Amino acid sequence: MSEQIKVAKIYLDMINQVFEIEKKAAGLREPNSIQRNVNRLREMIEQDLLPAAAEGQHGFIYHNPLGENYNITRTDCEASIAGESTENLVITEVIKPIIRYCNGPVNIIVQKAVVVVKSKGSL
Amino acid sequence: MDNMINIGIDLGTTNSAIARFADGKVQVLNNPADPGSNTLPSVVAFREDAIITGRKAKELLEKDAKSVVGAFKRKMGTSESYWINSISNFKTPVELSTYILRELRSFMPPGISVDAAVITIPASFDTIQSNATKEAGSQAGFAQVTLLQEPVAASLAYANMHKEQELAEGNWLVYDLGGGTFDIALVRIKDGEMKVLDHEGDNFLGGTDFDNLIVEKILIPAISAKYSFNNLETQMKSASGKYNAQYYILLQKAEEAKILLSSKSSVEVVIDGMTDENNAPVDFEVTVTRAAFNELITPQIDATIGMVKNILSRNKLQAKDILFTLMVGGSTYIPFVRQRTEELLQIPINCEIDPVTAVAAGAAHYAATRPKLTGNINVSKSSSRLSIKTTYAKTSKEKEELFLAKITGDTTHCSYRITRADGGFDTGLKQLTERISEYLPLVENTFNYFQLTVHDRESNTVEMHSEMIGINSAFGISGQPLPEDICLEVDDEEKPGETKLLLIFQKNSILPSRKSVTRTLNKSIQEGSEDKIRINVLEGPHYALPEANKSLGYLEISARQIFRDIAKGSDIELTFSISESRDLTVTAYLNMADQEFKQTFTPKERHTTVSALKLDVDTLARKLENEIFDTAEQENHEVRKELSVIKKEMDVLETETKDLVDDDVTDKRYQLEDKKRKLAQAIDNATRDKHIAVLRNKYFKMKGWCLEILDQHGSENERTRFYNATSDEASFMYSQSSVRLKEQTEVLRSIMGSIIWRTPICLKDLFRHLVDKSPGMSNQGEAQVLISGGRIAIEARDWSRLAEINQDLLDLLPKSVRQDVIGKVGF
Repeated sequence: MSEQIKVAKIYLDMINQVFEIEKKAAGLREPNSIQRNVNRLREMIEQDLLPAAAEGQHGFIYHNPLGENYNITRTDCEASIAGESTENLVITEVIKPIIRYCNGPVNIIVQKAVVVVKSKGSL
Repeated sequence: MDNMINIGIDLGTTNSAIARFADGKVQVLNNPADPGSNTLPSVVAFREDAIITGRKAKELLEKDAKSVVGAFKRKMGTSESYWINSISNFKTPVELSTYILRELRSFMPPGISVDAAVITIPASFDTIQSNATKEAGSQAGFAQVTLLQEPVAASLAYANMHKEQELAEGNWLVYDLGGGTFDIALVRIKDGEMKVLDHEGDNFLGGTDFDNLIVEKILIPAISAKYSFNNLETQMKSASGKYNAQYYILLQKAEEAKILLSSKSSVEVVIDGMTDENNAPVDFEVTVTRAAFNELITPQIDATIGMVKNILSRNKLQAKDILFTLMVGGSTYIPFVRQRTEELLQIPINCEIDPVTAVAAGAAHYAATRPKLTGNINVSKSSSRLSIKTTYAKTSKEKEELFLAKITGDTTHCSYRITRADGGFDTGLKQLTERISEYLPLVENTFNYFQLTVHDRESNTVEMHSEMIGINSAFGISGQPLPEDICLEVDDEEKPGETKLLLIFQKNSILPSRKSVTRTLNKSIQEGSEDKIRINVLEGPHYALPEANKSLGYLEISARQIFRDIAKGSDIELTFSISESRDLTVTAYLNMADQEFKQTFTPKERHTTVSALKLDVDTLARKLENEIFDTAEQENHEVRKELSVIKKEMDVLETETKDLVDDDVTDKRYQLEDKKRKLAQAIDNATRDKHIAVLRNKYFKMKGWCLEILDQHGSENERTRFYNATSDEASFMYSQSSVRLKEQTEVLRSIMGSIIWRTPICLKDLFRHLVDKSPGMSNQGEAQVLISGGRIAIEARDWSRLAEINQDLLDLLPKSVRQDVIGKVGF
């Protein structure tokens, strides 16, 4: 079963904020390359955030599952089902991303995504 | 203690938990399927082929009520059953509780006996309801079940926190306000016996009601007041409503706000991600104050207090007869609940126990005092009567991979479950048949481990001798490891004018790979001048000389390509991505100019510019001369002789390179580059031992200084940093990596620097030095004010003020004084 590790909440809060900015920046048409800063933040989270990250190849990865299929075997997301049907669900809103803690080739989910799902038929 | 029950279970209406007493302590076990949580929502969902319990089942509760059941505890001991659509069958509350208890058993680490448990029940449960709970325990595989009332369990959790003092005789209240239910109990200890005297409750009152109130009474009205909506509340709450998805987002935000309001006086809730009826995007913040929230939940809290007062008057008790109110349940974290209860009842509240896990913990304390019955206890692991043969792809680039298993033996009444080790996938319990087929979802670019467990009728794990299922999604057949380090040439701050290598991708990294580094420019680039930034990516050992490695890609950014002046100290972001076929793409972004330069280098082409080659040869020649001079000084004749031979070849190379014209079209540049590389390797080989010895010496000197100053002025944190930095000394000390030795020396230098910087001697020395330099400072008036301030600080022994003044004086030094030697590369 999954190994449970404790991650300082401040890391998760920061990553959630970066994710929020990333979502907002994606909808902007602006000339100041905000997306570049967001990408840079993402890379820092993956490569540099944790002490000795470069040596131990450990860090965080976050993933936006928007548009992916959903069913209740997916324990990487906490879902609220919108609409009436519970069949053929797809993720339509992502409030928080999936955050994984990576250590070498192994990674563990330290934050489940918080999502809203809807039946494909109702889209 | 092995002959005691030791396991306590809180089988709750909304949430359940399991705790274990071991080594004198109670541990509430984590939910392995829900990282970070040690509770299990008491909800069961039925699909055609699987039974799901807990959080995943709860997700479906509202929308698929005919196949998902929650709050069944309320019906324990009744003849009522639930019709389950998906399996066209009835399920009794006992059966449903059994699934929850089975799931809780799976929280236990492997190898621990789970054949007996103390299970808690509400104070209101009668004999039939109690027996029904016992039956559920028995069906879940507990051969022995002892029941304990929830308020007593919570009281035991409190009593065990104060083992040193016996709980005084008297009465107290257990106020249990959870996620969805409220219970109040009056507990008494008399003649050493703890007893529930009276109780009351509301099965439809809890924290989720408060979340709903925030949405209904604060958020929706605020949105409706600012934007155009037709009956937003109905549109949100109706499953077919236009804004139904937003309702769940608001509920999530309301819950977060509620939690934050326990520690803050107000919270900003961001409302966005929707448009109103006029297509205007909704994007604003609603302030939810603690006062507004308190006002909102006052009727509910007052209702609970009304029930407490009923109990007191029924039992002819007054506030002074009650020792305290023990607060249990997650909603008692809310400060207003605590404050209001204390204020209206005039009874002191007691918040010492963890309100969420207290009942399970108290049950485990009780279990530690109850002996296990012997003779009729099953072994927790069924002896193996099944064998398994599995088939699946060990590597895959697909999103999911088919897993097949063939089971030999009697599979009747057995179930199986497959979970992914990262916590992201769980099939739920499925009936075991002779053949299993499952599509296992894979996380990209990692090793995916899955665990298959088989359970018998009593939920005991059946030993299958099956190995962990491992599917590598990190690289397919086309993935290949890097044969050499890939490095970036950077300026060496310690040796002005020389360069060193910075490791980008380590040897044996799996392709494709990508990395970004940000460097600070060490020179200014004037627009239109002849200044250049050189980005040189090399292949070869990262501890070698830059000139000794093969150039993979070389990108020059000249001042003519830049739209504006770039100041020294601004950042350059470099991104390197290398494809599976080893194409290297270098992207350089100059932050100050907001300009990007990008070039892809393929291994088929070599990128050698004549100007870069000339510069490299020149640098290498100077390096060789310095080495010869050093070895002569140190009378290291053997190395000097070796270097003299190399020098002759270097002279020839220099001449040939000088003769090369910039637009030479022959292969000459490549031949010369190879020659240069070989000469650099020869210099490196001849001098490496000498360099390593010097670096080791430097390291030990620095370590000695560091230890000395740590003894006198070091903090605990700095001692820990020192210990961490030196604990791996053996490995880097005898490696051939000069980079590693330099890095470790730098770590020690930084520890030492941070201590020295705050010592009075250092601060005073720096101040004196700055006073000497003050005539050249940019603002004389300010400098003089700072200098007199510094003298006062020294007299007053105000060292932190002196540190600030030193910093301000440093800032007044003209740039030329602070200017470092300009590097070859530019960063």
